Amino acid sequence: MAESKHSWREDELSLQEVIKKYPDVSPFVILKTDVQRRGVDFTQRAIDAVDPDRDAVVYRGIYSEKNDRIPNGLILRDGTTILADRVVPSSGFNGGRDPYLIDIADGKAVLTDEGKVIEEVGYWPKPDYFDKVTSSGKPMWQVLVARPQRMDINLYQNCDFWKDIGMGCKFCPIAATYSKTKNIKREHLDYQDVAEAVAEALKQPGRFRMIQLCSGSLLGGKELLDDEIDQYITMLKLLEKNFSHKKVMTQLISTAHNERQLRRLHEETILTGYTADIEVLNEEIFNWICPGKAKYIGYQEWKRRLYQAAEIFGPGAVNTGIVSGVELVKPNGFRSEEEALEKGLAEAEELARHGVGVAQTVYRVAEGSYFQKQKAASLDYLTAFAKGLDTLQRRYRQEAYFDDYRTCGNHPNTDLARI
Amino acid sequence: MSIQLNDQMIALINDPKTLKVLASADQDGIPHVVFKGSVSVNADGKLQYLEIIETSQTNRNLVHSIWFRRQVAVGILTQDSRNYQIKGTPVRAVICGELFEKNYIAVRERFGKDADLSTVWIIDPEEIREETFSVQASREREAYPLIGHLDRF
Repeated sequence: MAESKHSWREDELSLQEVIKKYPDVSPFVILKTDVQRRGVDFTQRAIDAVDPDRDAVVYRGIYSEKNDRIPNGLILRDGTTILADRVVPSSGFNGGRDPYLIDIADGKAVLTDEGKVIEEVGYWPKPDYFDKVTSSGKPMWQVLVARPQRMDINLYQNCDFWKDIGMGCKFCPIAATYSKTKNIKREHLDYQDVAEAVAEALKQPGRFRMIQLCSGSLLGGKELLDDEIDQYITMLKLLEKNFSHKKVMTQLISTAHNERQLRRLHEETILTGYTADIEVLNEEIFNWICPGKAKYIGYQEWKRRLYQAAEIFGPGAVNTGIVSGVELVKPNGFRSEEEALEKGLAEAEELARHGVGVAQTVYRVAEGSYFQKQKAASLDYLTAFAKGLDTLQRRYRQEAYFDDYRTCGNHPNTDLARI
Repeated sequence: MSIQLNDQMIALINDPKTLKVLASADQDGIPHVVFKGSVSVNADGKLQYLEIIETSQTNRNLVHSIWFRRQVAVGILTQDSRNYQIKGTPVRAVICGELFEKNYIAVRERFGKDADLSTVWIIDPEEIREETFSVQASREREAYPLIGHLDRF
């Protein structure tokens, strides 16, 4: 008798069932969430239909490196963007789920699942600067990442937590990405290369609304993180030459800085938005998953620094990112989704009371991370969490403009703030 | 079900002298009606609307409509006082790419360098009805000949 093959699909609600269960949550956002947690693969004809002159396909950043014909990101009909890595089902790094498959139907790219067309999909457009080179001869796409409306600067392409053995965040592939690519890229980008790429990117009318800076943690300096702060201030000072306004839409995603460092960022630069990702909304699980952050700063101190940032940068300008679903990872995560939801949202509410928003990034198991064989959370749980965070945002009248569907596009809960 | 607008209707909508209003509703069903000169018909026969203001109520309502397949309505008043109502559903919110950038440049050329563009909305027309008073009145007289005050008869 043939052995029966148990499918993950039998254990959890399907996309359609989750859409039905949450009738007031955007079906586009639920789909995005599912695509993010499961990843995507492409049929050969879908790959053949990609136009590298029109679609953004090359990428060098802290989380991945690619130069092929696979699109950097997806966009749905409603403008919802999706950051979804290509997942080869047989790789063993698929988080226990099958990826969606992008195919061509009636001449259009479509997301499919089990052979059924789910929704039309587009790709992030290639920005004009991608084909240009800096005065030092560096291709600009290698020093400046582009989302549909945001440019990303990843100055430090490694992370110091990983240099302290066992201290890297367990879900994070930064060190693995750097290790794989260190023969072709430097650990730190050249400021001038980046400044030239940004100046070129700004020449494209209607393309960019935000500049974001995000790197691995740089712990050194006279005081912890002073090198990191100096790095960002140097970069922001070079960028300010492009603008006549004193402050422009910019966001820093970094380690949590002390009050002196935060004031320097606010007072000396054009920076307007500040994010320090706490990753997990529970101290005990944070200590396990993010040992470096726990060792050098600590969970309570991280929160305190966020509260200070909210006072310095003002309403709506400060939030913290979470890797939504990683808190359920075995063996030390929450035992049930119900407990994770209740405790996570209670913690999010405390942050909201202090003027700090939460940006939910869907946890997808990343190859090269410590957790690469783990399992992603259910769509039902992730949707309930997005809805819960959206409710808090409305209750505490928090704006999400530094991390919304346009300026970021990676957070289901802030996507919901569109209505 | 999508309908095809005829050439005459397309010309009327694309005439800059035609007055156009866009009616939408939020998640609580609260209506919102505003004059929108940027409504036009694109080469595919769909209604196109340029939303300038990202945080406007109309933009929020159109997002709600595309998410939950709720209809919106466009009212048309021509120079010779004919008026029409087109109901349709937003099917695409274009926020980047070639079409977006082309319209972004056009908006700034028209309204000046402080102008911005949030979204190019594409609305699938599904129903059209002439609402000109004389046409409406004769429609009613034909369908309900006995309705009205008796002193008229």
